[in-house]
Amino acid sequence: MQGFSDILERLYEMTAISNLADTPAFLLMYFIAFVLLYLGIAKKYEPLLLVPIAFGVLIANFPGGEMGVIQADSQGFVTLADGSREIIWDMPLHKVAHELGIMNYLYYALIKTGLLPPIIFMGVGALTDFGPMLRNLKLAIFGAAAQFGIFAVLIASLLLGFTPQEAGSLGIIGGADGPTAIFTTIKLAPHLLGPIAIAAYSYMALVPVIIPLVVKLTCSRKELMINMKEQDKLYPEKLEIKNMRVVKIIFPIAVTTIVAIFVPTAVPLIGMLMFGNLVKEIGSDTGRLFEVASNGLMNAATIFLGLCVGATMTAEAFLNLQTLGIIVGGFLAFALSIASGIVMVKVWNLFAKKKINPLVGATGLSAVPMASRVCNGISTKYDPKNHVLNYCMASNISGVIGSAVAAGVLISFLG
Amino acid sequence: MENLGVGLLLMGVGMVTVFCILLIVIYGSRLIISLVNKMAPEAEAAPKASFDARPILEAAVAQLTGGKGRITKITEL
Repeated sequence: MQGFSDILERLYEMTAISNLADTPAFLLMYFIAFVLLYLGIAKKYEPLLLVPIAFGVLIANFPGGEMGVIQADSQGFVTLADGSREIIWDMPLHKVAHELGIMNYLYYALIKTGLLPPIIFMGVGALTDFGPMLRNLKLAIFGAAAQFGIFAVLIASLLLGFTPQEAGSLGIIGGADGPTAIFTTIKLAPHLLGPIAIAAYSYMALVPVIIPLVVKLTCSRKELMINMKEQDKLYPEKLEIKNMRVVKIIFPIAVTTIVAIFVPTAVPLIGMLMFGNLVKEIGSDTGRLFEVASNGLMNAATIFLGLCVGATMTAEAFLNLQTLGIIVGGFLAFALSIASGIVMVKVWNLFAKKKINPLVGATGLSAVPMASRVCNGISTKYDPKNHVLNYCMASNISGVIGSAVAAGVLISFLG
Repeated sequence: MENLGVGLLLMGVGMVTVFCILLIVIYGSRLIISLVNKMAPEAEAAPKASFDARPILEAAVAQLTGGKGRITKITEL
Protein backbone atom coordinates (compact mmCIF):
# COMPACT_ATOMS: atom_id res chain seq x y z
CA MET A 1 0.00 0.00 0.00
CA GLN A 2 2.92 2.29 0.80
CA GLY A 3 4.18 1.84 -2.76
CA PHE A 4 0.76 2.61 -4.25
CA SER A 5 0.39 5.85 -2.28
CA ASP A 6 3.92 6.81 -3.35
CA ILE A 7 2.94 6.33 -6.97
CA LEU A 8 -0.22 8.38 -6.46
CA GLU A 9 1.77 11.15 -4.79
CA ARG A 10 4.33 11.22 -7.59
CA LEU A 11 1.52 11.25 -10.16
CA TYR A 12 -0.05 14.21 -8.35
CA GLU A 13 3.28 16.02 -8.35
CA MET A 14 3.86 15.19 -12.03
CA THR A 15 0.64 16.91 -13.07
CA ALA A 16 0.09 20.65 -12.94
CA ILE A 17 -2.63 20.18 -10.33
CA SER A 18 -0.30 20.47 -7.33
CA ASN A 19 1.12 23.77 -8.61
CA LEU A 20 -2.35 25.06 -9.45
CA ALA A 21 -3.48 24.43 -5.90
CA ASP A 22 -0.43 26.35 -4.63
CA THR A 23 -0.80 29.29 -7.04
CA PRO A 24 -4.43 30.02 -7.95
CA ALA A 25 -3.27 33.06 -10.01
CA PHE A 26 -2.80 30.58 -12.87
CA LEU A 27 -6.56 30.06 -12.93
CA LEU A 28 -7.05 33.77 -13.57
CA MET A 29 -4.61 33.55 -16.48
CA TYR A 30 -6.61 30.64 -17.94
CA PHE A 31 -9.72 32.78 -17.65
CA ILE A 32 -7.97 35.64 -19.50
CA ALA A 33 -6.81 33.17 -22.17
CA PHE A 34 -10.34 31.79 -22.59
CA VAL A 35 -11.83 35.30 -22.87
CA LEU A 36 -9.25 36.25 -25.51
CA LEU A 37 -9.91 32.99 -27.38
CA TYR A 38 -13.63 33.70 -27.26
CA LEU A 39 -13.09 37.24 -28.61
CA GLY A 40 -10.87 35.91 -31.38
CA ILE A 41 -12.95 32.90 -32.39
CA ALA A 42 -16.57 33.83 -31.68
CA LYS A 43 -16.42 37.63 -31.98
CA LYS A 44 -13.78 37.54 -34.75
CA TYR A 45 -11.74 40.35 -33.15
CA GLU A 46 -8.43 40.20 -35.07
CA PRO A 47 -8.50 36.37 -34.96
CA LEU A 48 -5.24 35.98 -36.89
CA LEU A 49 -3.38 37.52 -33.97
CA LEU A 50 -5.63 37.20 -30.98
CA VAL A 51 -5.96 33.41 -31.30
CA PRO A 52 -2.19 32.70 -31.28
CA ILE A 53 -1.66 35.27 -28.50
CA ALA A 54 -4.46 33.77 -26.39
CA PHE A 55 -3.17 30.24 -26.94
CA GLY A 56 0.31 31.42 -26.02
CA VAL A 57 -1.12 32.78 -22.74
CA LEU A 58 -2.77 29.45 -22.08
CA ILE A 59 0.25 27.22 -22.66
CA ALA A 60 2.60 29.60 -20.84
CA ASN A 61 0.70 29.20 -17.59
CA PHE A 62 0.88 25.46 -17.04
CA PRO A 63 3.49 24.95 -14.31
CA GLY A 64 6.10 22.46 -15.44
CA GLY A 65 5.26 23.01 -19.13
CA GLU A 66 8.24 25.37 -19.54
CA MET A 67 6.38 27.37 -22.17
CA GLY A 68 6.32 30.70 -20.33
CA VAL A 69 8.86 33.32 -21.37
CA ILE A 70 11.38 34.16 -18.67
CA GLN A 71 12.37 37.82 -18.92
CA ALA A 72 15.99 38.67 -18.34
CA ASP A 73 16.58 41.43 -15.80
CA SER A 74 18.13 44.77 -16.70
CA GLN A 75 21.62 43.23 -16.59
CA GLY A 76 20.52 40.34 -18.80
CA PHE A 77 20.46 37.71 -16.02
CA VAL A 78 17.94 34.84 -15.98
CA THR A 79 17.43 32.29 -13.23
CA LEU A 80 17.70 28.67 -14.37
CA ALA A 81 15.75 25.71 -12.93
CA ASP A 82 18.62 24.79 -10.58
CA GLY A 83 18.61 28.32 -9.11
CA SER A 84 21.83 29.45 -10.80
CA ARG A 85 21.88 32.72 -12.70
CA GLU A 86 23.31 33.27 -16.16
CA ILE A 87 23.46 36.10 -18.64
CA ILE A 88 21.00 35.15 -21.36
CA TRP A 89 23.08 36.70 -24.15
CA ASP A 90 26.05 34.50 -23.21
CA MET A 91 23.96 31.34 -23.49
CA PRO A 92 24.01 29.55 -26.85
CA LEU A 93 20.51 29.05 -28.28
CA HIS A 94 20.58 25.26 -27.85
CA LYS A 95 21.27 25.82 -24.14
CA VAL A 96 18.39 28.31 -23.93
CA ALA A 97 16.12 25.65 -25.47
CA HIS A 98 17.46 22.95 -23.14
CA GLU A 99 17.43 24.96 -19.91
CA LEU A 100 14.44 27.26 -20.44
CA GLY A 101 12.25 25.44 -22.98
CA ILE A 102 11.47 25.97 -26.66
CA MET A 103 9.26 29.01 -26.14
CA ASN A 104 12.22 30.89 -24.66
CA TYR A 105 14.32 29.69 -27.59
CA LEU A 106 11.76 31.16 -30.01
CA TYR A 107 11.36 34.33 -27.95
CA TYR A 108 15.07 35.11 -27.65
CA ALA A 109 15.86 34.09 -31.24
CA LEU A 110 12.93 35.68 -33.06
CA ILE A 111 11.31 38.32 -30.85
CA LYS A 112 14.00 39.74 -28.60
CA THR A 113 16.25 40.15 -31.62
CA GLY A 114 13.49 42.28 -33.20
CA LEU A 115 13.27 39.99 -36.25
CA LEU A 116 9.56 39.26 -36.57
CA PRO A 117 7.90 42.73 -36.47
CA PRO A 118 9.86 43.95 -39.54
CA ILE A 119 9.01 40.70 -41.36
CA ILE A 120 5.33 41.29 -40.63
CA PHE A 121 5.76 44.88 -41.80
CA MET A 122 7.15 43.54 -45.08
CA GLY A 123 3.95 41.53 -45.50
CA VAL A 124 1.85 44.58 -44.61
CA GLY A 125 3.74 46.56 -47.26
CA ALA A 126 3.08 43.85 -49.83
CA LEU A 127 -0.63 44.09 -49.07
CA THR A 128 -0.78 47.91 -49.05
CA ASP A 129 -1.77 50.07 -51.99
CA PHE A 130 -0.31 53.57 -51.70
CA GLY A 131 -2.48 54.70 -54.64
CA PRO A 132 -5.17 56.43 -52.52
CA MET A 133 -2.48 58.35 -50.64
CA LEU A 134 -0.69 59.41 -53.84
CA ARG A 135 -4.00 60.61 -55.31
CA ASN A 136 -4.77 62.68 -52.19
CA LEU A 137 -1.34 63.73 -51.01
CA LYS A 138 -2.51 66.71 -48.94
CA LEU A 139 -4.60 64.44 -46.74
CA ALA A 140 -1.50 62.45 -45.80
CA ILE A 141 -0.50 65.18 -43.33
CA PHE A 142 -3.31 64.10 -41.00
CA GLY A 143 -1.37 60.89 -40.43
CA ALA A 144 1.07 63.06 -38.48
CA ALA A 145 -1.50 64.81 -36.28
CA ALA A 146 -2.87 61.48 -35.10
CA GLN A 147 0.44 60.58 -33.49
CA PHE A 148 -0.23 63.14 -30.75
CA GLY A 149 -1.87 60.49 -28.55
CA ILE A 150 1.45 58.60 -28.37
CA PHE A 151 3.26 61.53 -26.80
CA ALA A 152 0.37 62.73 -24.63
CA VAL A 153 0.09 59.31 -22.98
CA LEU A 154 3.87 59.14 -22.68
CA ILE A 155 3.76 62.29 -20.53
CA ALA A 156 0.78 61.02 -18.51
CA SER A 157 2.58 57.71 -17.89
CA LEU A 158 5.70 59.51 -16.72
CA LEU A 159 3.61 61.45 -14.22
CA LEU A 160 2.09 58.17 -13.00
CA GLY A 161 5.53 56.82 -12.21
CA PHE A 162 6.42 54.72 -15.25
CA THR A 163 10.04 54.95 -16.38
CA PRO A 164 10.61 56.91 -19.64
CA GLN A 165 11.21 53.60 -21.49
CA GLU A 166 8.00 52.07 -20.15
CA ALA A 167 6.07 55.28 -20.88
CA GLY A 168 7.33 55.30 -24.48
CA SER A 169 6.24 51.71 -24.97
CA LEU A 170 2.84 52.46 -23.46
CA GLY A 171 2.33 55.57 -25.57
CA ILE A 172 3.13 53.78 -28.83
CA ILE A 173 -0.14 51.84 -28.45
CA GLY A 174 -1.70 55.11 -29.69
CA GLY A 175 -0.02 54.48 -33.04
CA ALA A 176 -2.58 51.69 -33.52
CA ASP A 177 0.00 49.55 -35.21
CA GLY A 178 0.71 46.12 -33.69
CA PRO A 179 4.17 45.40 -35.16
CA THR A 180 5.32 48.96 -34.39
CA ALA A 181 4.12 48.67 -30.77
CA ILE A 182 5.87 45.31 -30.37
CA PHE A 183 9.09 46.49 -32.03
CA THR A 184 9.27 49.58 -29.81
CA THR A 185 8.49 47.62 -26.64
CA ILE A 186 11.15 45.01 -27.43
CA LYS A 187 13.69 47.83 -27.68
CA LEU A 188 12.53 49.88 -24.69
CA ALA A 189 10.67 47.78 -22.11
CA PRO A 190 10.61 44.07 -23.06
CA HIS A 191 9.14 43.08 -19.68
CA LEU A 192 5.90 44.85 -20.72
CA LEU A 193 5.66 43.13 -24.11
CA GLY A 194 2.70 40.89 -23.23
CA PRO A 195 0.25 43.47 -21.87
CA ILE A 196 1.26 46.10 -24.45
CA ALA A 197 0.76 43.71 -27.37
CA ILE A 198 -2.58 42.59 -25.96
CA ALA A 199 -3.71 46.20 -25.44
CA ALA A 200 -2.54 47.24 -28.92
CA TYR A 201 -4.28 44.39 -30.73
CA SER A 202 -7.40 44.52 -28.56
CA TYR A 203 -7.91 48.22 -29.21
CA MET A 204 -7.21 47.71 -32.92
CA ALA A 205 -9.93 45.08 -32.87
CA LEU A 206 -12.17 47.58 -31.09
CA VAL A 207 -11.66 50.28 -33.75
CA PRO A 208 -15.31 49.85 -34.87
CA VAL A 209 -16.34 50.84 -31.34
CA ILE A 210 -13.70 53.43 -30.38
CA ILE A 211 -13.74 55.58 -33.55
CA PRO A 212 -17.55 56.09 -33.59
CA LEU A 213 -17.39 56.96 -29.88
CA VAL A 214 -14.70 59.61 -30.33
CA VAL A 215 -16.34 60.93 -33.52
CA LYS A 216 -19.67 61.27 -31.72
CA LEU A 217 -18.01 63.25 -28.94
CA THR A 218 -16.05 65.58 -31.21
CA CYS A 219 -17.88 66.06 -34.54
CA SER A 220 -21.12 67.74 -35.54
CA ARG A 221 -23.58 66.32 -38.08
CA LYS A 222 -22.77 69.19 -40.45
CA GLU A 223 -19.06 68.34 -40.38
CA LEU A 224 -19.71 64.66 -41.01
CA MET A 225 -21.88 65.56 -44.01
CA ILE A 226 -18.96 67.24 -45.82
CA ASN A 227 -18.85 65.50 -49.18
CA MET A 228 -15.26 65.08 -50.33
CA LYS A 229 -16.17 64.28 -53.95
CA GLU A 230 -18.17 67.49 -54.24
CA GLN A 231 -15.27 69.40 -52.70
CA ASP A 232 -13.00 67.79 -55.30
CA LYS A 233 -15.32 69.02 -58.07
CA LEU A 234 -15.38 72.53 -56.62
CA TYR A 235 -11.63 72.65 -56.06
CA PRO A 236 -10.02 70.06 -58.37
CA GLU A 237 -6.53 68.72 -57.72
CA LYS A 238 -4.05 70.47 -60.01
CA LEU A 239 -1.50 67.68 -60.15
CA GLU A 240 -2.69 64.80 -62.27
CA ILE A 241 -0.88 61.45 -62.16
CA LYS A 242 -0.28 60.31 -65.73
CA ASN A 243 1.68 57.15 -65.03
CA MET A 244 0.66 55.69 -61.66
CA ARG A 245 2.66 52.46 -62.11
CA VAL A 246 6.02 54.22 -62.37
CA VAL A 247 5.16 56.57 -59.47
CA LYS A 248 4.19 53.61 -57.30
CA ILE A 249 7.53 51.90 -58.03
CA ILE A 250 9.60 55.01 -57.27
CA PHE A 251 7.58 55.90 -54.13
CA PRO A 252 8.77 53.09 -51.77
CA ILE A 253 12.39 53.60 -52.80
CA ALA A 254 12.14 57.35 -52.18
CA VAL A 255 10.35 57.05 -48.82
CA THR A 256 12.88 54.50 -47.54
CA THR A 257 15.73 56.81 -48.52
CA ILE A 258 14.12 59.86 -46.87
CA VAL A 259 13.33 58.05 -43.61
CA ALA A 260 16.72 56.34 -43.53
CA ILE A 261 18.45 59.69 -43.73
CA PHE A 262 16.37 61.45 -41.06
CA VAL A 263 15.28 58.68 -38.64
CA PRO A 264 17.55 55.66 -39.15
CA THR A 265 16.04 53.84 -36.15
CA ALA A 266 12.74 53.59 -38.05
CA VAL A 267 14.38 51.87 -41.03
CA PRO A 268 13.81 48.27 -39.84
CA LEU A 269 10.08 49.00 -39.98
CA ILE A 270 9.75 51.49 -42.85
CA GLY A 271 12.45 49.80 -44.93
CA MET A 272 10.77 46.41 -44.76
CA LEU A 273 7.31 47.95 -45.29
CA MET A 274 8.52 49.66 -48.43
CA PHE A 275 10.45 46.62 -49.66
CA GLY A 276 7.27 44.54 -49.42
CA ASN A 277 5.40 47.25 -51.30
CA LEU A 278 8.10 47.52 -53.97
CA VAL A 279 8.00 43.80 -54.85
CA LYS A 280 4.22 44.13 -55.13
CA GLU A 281 4.34 47.17 -57.40
CA ILE A 282 7.05 45.81 -59.72
CA GLY A 283 4.56 43.16 -60.73
CA SER A 284 5.15 39.78 -62.32
CA ASP A 285 8.96 40.10 -62.38
CA THR A 286 9.03 39.90 -58.58
CA GLY A 287 5.73 38.07 -58.24
CA ARG A 288 7.34 35.13 -56.42
CA LEU A 289 8.85 37.43 -53.79
CA PHE A 290 5.51 39.17 -53.38
CA GLU A 291 3.79 35.82 -52.93
CA VAL A 292 6.18 34.77 -50.13
CA ALA A 293 6.19 38.19 -48.40
CA SER A 294 2.43 38.54 -48.36
CA ASN A 295 1.52 34.93 -47.63
CA GLY A 296 3.87 32.23 -46.35
CA LEU A 297 6.46 34.35 -44.58
CA MET A 298 3.97 36.76 -43.07
CA ASN A 299 1.73 33.97 -41.82
CA ALA A 300 4.63 32.03 -40.29
CA ALA A 301 5.90 35.21 -38.61
CA THR A 302 2.41 35.95 -37.30
CA ILE A 303 2.13 32.49 -35.72
CA PHE A 304 5.46 32.74 -33.90
CA LEU A 305 4.93 36.38 -32.92
CA GLY A 306 1.47 35.68 -31.51
CA LEU A 307 2.50 32.59 -29.55
CA CYS A 308 5.64 34.19 -28.13
CA VAL A 309 3.87 37.43 -27.17
CA GLY A 310 1.18 35.39 -25.44
CA ALA A 311 3.83 33.34 -23.66
CA THR A 312 5.29 36.50 -22.11
CA MET A 313 2.04 36.82 -20.14
CA THR A 314 2.85 34.53 -17.28
CA ALA A 315 0.84 35.02 -14.08
CA GLU A 316 3.92 36.48 -12.40
CA ALA A 317 4.56 39.05 -15.14
CA PHE A 318 0.97 39.97 -15.96
CA LEU A 319 -1.01 40.18 -12.74
CA ASN A 320 0.07 43.55 -11.35
CA LEU A 321 -1.01 47.19 -11.27
CA GLN A 322 1.26 48.08 -14.18
CA THR A 323 -0.87 45.95 -16.50
CA LEU A 324 -3.99 47.82 -15.44
CA GLY A 325 -2.17 51.09 -16.15
CA ILE A 326 -1.24 49.82 -19.62
CA ILE A 327 -4.83 48.82 -20.43
CA VAL A 328 -6.19 52.25 -19.35
CA GLY A 329 -3.26 54.22 -20.80
CA GLY A 330 -3.47 52.32 -24.09
CA PHE A 331 -7.13 53.23 -24.49
CA LEU A 332 -6.37 56.89 -23.76
CA ALA A 333 -3.52 56.88 -26.29
CA PHE A 334 -5.82 55.40 -28.90
CA ALA A 335 -8.70 57.80 -28.25
CA LEU A 336 -6.40 60.86 -28.11
CA SER A 337 -4.78 59.90 -31.42
CA ILE A 338 -8.18 59.77 -33.10
CA ALA A 339 -9.29 63.03 -31.47
CA SER A 340 -6.10 64.90 -32.38
CA GLY A 341 -6.50 63.92 -36.05
CA ILE A 342 -10.06 65.25 -35.96
CA VAL A 343 -8.98 68.48 -34.26
CA MET A 344 -6.35 69.11 -36.92
CA VAL A 345 -8.97 68.75 -39.67
CA LYS A 346 -11.21 71.22 -37.83
CA VAL A 347 -8.36 73.72 -37.59
CA TRP A 348 -7.57 73.14 -41.28
CA ASN A 349 -11.21 73.79 -42.21
CA LEU A 350 -11.11 77.14 -40.42
CA PHE A 351 -8.57 78.43 -42.94
CA ALA A 352 -9.01 76.36 -46.12
CA LYS A 353 -11.60 76.89 -48.85
CA LYS A 354 -11.70 73.21 -49.67
CA LYS A 355 -13.34 71.62 -46.62
CA ILE A 356 -12.31 68.20 -45.38
CA ASN A 357 -14.52 65.68 -43.64
CA PRO A 358 -13.15 65.25 -40.06
CA LEU A 359 -13.35 61.49 -40.51
CA VAL A 360 -10.21 61.84 -42.64
CA GLY A 361 -8.45 63.02 -39.48
CA ALA A 362 -9.89 60.20 -37.39
CA THR A 363 -8.17 57.67 -39.65
CA GLY A 364 -4.76 59.25 -39.17
CA LEU A 365 -3.86 56.51 -36.76
CA SER A 366 -2.81 53.26 -38.48
CA ALA A 367 -5.17 50.24 -38.16
CA VAL A 368 -5.30 49.92 -41.97
CA PRO A 369 -7.81 49.45 -43.54
CA MET A 370 -10.31 48.88 -40.75
CA ALA A 371 -10.29 52.50 -39.55
CA SER A 372 -11.11 53.73 -43.07
CA ARG A 373 -13.90 51.20 -43.49
CA VAL A 374 -15.41 52.21 -40.15
CA CYS A 375 -15.25 55.91 -41.07
CA ASN A 376 -16.82 55.22 -44.46
CA GLY A 377 -19.64 53.47 -42.60
CA ILE A 378 -20.13 56.56 -40.40
CA SER A 379 -20.22 59.00 -43.34
CA THR A 380 -22.67 56.89 -45.36
CA LYS A 381 -24.92 56.70 -42.32
CA TYR A 382 -25.38 60.47 -42.52
CA ASP A 383 -25.45 60.60 -46.33
CA PRO A 384 -25.61 57.29 -48.27
CA LYS A 385 -23.86 58.92 -51.26
CA ASN A 386 -20.95 60.29 -49.24
CA HIS A 387 -18.21 57.66 -49.60
CA VAL A 388 -15.00 58.82 -47.91
CA LEU A 389 -13.12 55.50 -48.05
CA ASN A 390 -10.43 56.56 -50.54
CA TYR A 391 -9.83 59.86 -48.77
CA CYS A 392 -9.59 58.17 -45.37
CA MET A 393 -7.16 55.63 -46.79
CA ALA A 394 -4.77 58.50 -47.62
CA SER A 395 -4.37 59.55 -43.98
CA ASN A 396 -4.71 55.96 -42.79
CA ILE A 397 -1.71 54.79 -44.84
CA SER A 398 0.37 57.84 -43.98
CA GLY A 399 -0.45 57.05 -40.34
CA VAL A 400 1.53 53.80 -40.74
CA ILE A 401 4.57 55.83 -41.83
CA GLY A 402 3.89 58.40 -39.08
CA SER A 403 3.69 55.86 -36.26
CA ALA A 404 6.85 54.09 -37.45
CA VAL A 405 8.68 57.44 -37.48
CA ALA A 406 7.35 58.24 -33.99
CA ALA A 407 8.60 54.81 -32.85
CA GLY A 408 11.99 55.60 -34.39
CA VAL A 409 12.17 58.86 -32.41
CA LEU A 410 11.27 57.08 -29.16
CA ILE A 411 13.87 54.36 -29.76
CA SER A 412 16.54 56.96 -30.63
CA PHE A 413 15.95 58.97 -27.47
CA LEU A 414 15.07 56.28 -24.95
CA GLY A 415 16.70 53.10 -26.30
CA MET B 1 9.46 66.99 -12.75
CA GLU B 2 12.63 65.94 -14.50
CA ASN B 3 10.68 63.17 -16.21
CA LEU B 4 8.03 65.69 -17.26
CA GLY B 5 10.75 67.68 -18.98
CA VAL B 6 11.87 64.54 -20.82
CA GLY B 7 8.26 63.87 -21.84
CA LEU B 8 7.68 67.38 -23.15
CA LEU B 9 10.97 67.31 -25.04
CA LEU B 10 10.04 63.97 -26.62
CA MET B 11 6.60 65.30 -27.56
CA GLY B 12 8.13 68.36 -29.22
CA VAL B 13 10.85 66.47 -31.05
CA GLY B 14 8.56 63.56 -31.94
CA MET B 15 5.68 65.58 -33.36
CA VAL B 16 7.97 67.95 -35.27
CA THR B 17 9.88 64.99 -36.73
CA VAL B 18 6.70 63.15 -37.78
CA PHE B 19 5.27 66.32 -39.38
CA CYS B 20 8.54 67.10 -41.16
CA ILE B 21 8.99 63.56 -42.50
CA LEU B 22 5.42 63.42 -43.79
CA LEU B 23 5.77 66.89 -45.35
CA ILE B 24 8.96 65.74 -47.07
CA VAL B 25 7.15 62.58 -48.22
CA ILE B 26 4.22 64.66 -49.53
CA TYR B 27 6.32 67.22 -51.40
CA GLY B 28 8.80 64.55 -52.50
CA SER B 29 5.94 62.56 -53.95
CA ARG B 30 4.64 65.64 -55.77
CA LEU B 31 8.10 66.09 -57.24
CA ILE B 32 8.20 62.42 -58.29
CA ILE B 33 4.76 62.74 -59.91
CA SER B 34 5.81 65.90 -61.80
CA LEU B 35 9.02 64.28 -63.03
CA VAL B 36 7.25 61.09 -64.07
CA ASN B 37 4.58 63.15 -65.85
CA LYS B 38 7.33 64.86 -67.82
CA MET B 39 9.61 61.90 -68.49
CA ALA B 40 7.22 58.95 -68.75
CA PRO B 41 3.76 60.45 -69.15
CA GLU B 42 2.04 57.41 -70.60
CA ALA B 43 1.73 54.03 -69.01
CA GLU B 44 2.60 51.30 -71.50
CA ALA B 45 -0.77 50.29 -72.85
CA ALA B 46 -1.47 46.60 -72.77
CA PRO B 47 -1.57 45.31 -76.33
CA LYS B 48 -5.16 44.97 -77.40
CA ALA B 49 -6.30 41.58 -78.54
CA SER B 50 -6.41 41.76 -82.30
CA PHE B 51 -8.03 38.39 -82.86
CA ASP B 52 -11.73 37.74 -82.98
CA ALA B 53 -12.71 35.92 -79.80
CA ARG B 54 -16.20 35.04 -81.03
CA PRO B 55 -15.39 31.65 -82.70
CA ILE B 56 -13.50 30.49 -79.59
CA LEU B 57 -16.31 31.52 -77.27
CA GLU B 58 -18.91 29.91 -79.56
CA ALA B 59 -16.96 26.64 -79.60
CA ALA B 60 -16.62 26.70 -75.80
CA VAL B 61 -20.31 27.41 -75.29
CA ALA B 62 -21.28 24.70 -77.80
CA GLN B 63 -19.08 22.16 -76.03
CA LEU B 64 -20.36 23.04 -72.57
CA THR B 65 -24.04 23.06 -73.56
CA GLY B 66 -23.90 20.12 -75.99
CA GLY B 67 -24.62 22.37 -78.98
CA LYS B 68 -27.79 23.85 -77.46
CA GLY B 69 -26.34 27.15 -76.25
CA ARG B 70 -25.80 30.13 -78.50
CA ILE B 71 -24.06 33.47 -78.00
CA THR B 72 -26.35 36.40 -78.77
CA LYS B 73 -24.29 39.31 -77.51
CA ILE B 74 -20.73 39.93 -76.32
CA THR B 75 -20.17 43.05 -74.21
CA GLU B 76 -16.80 44.39 -73.11
CA LEU B 77 -16.69 44.98 -69.37
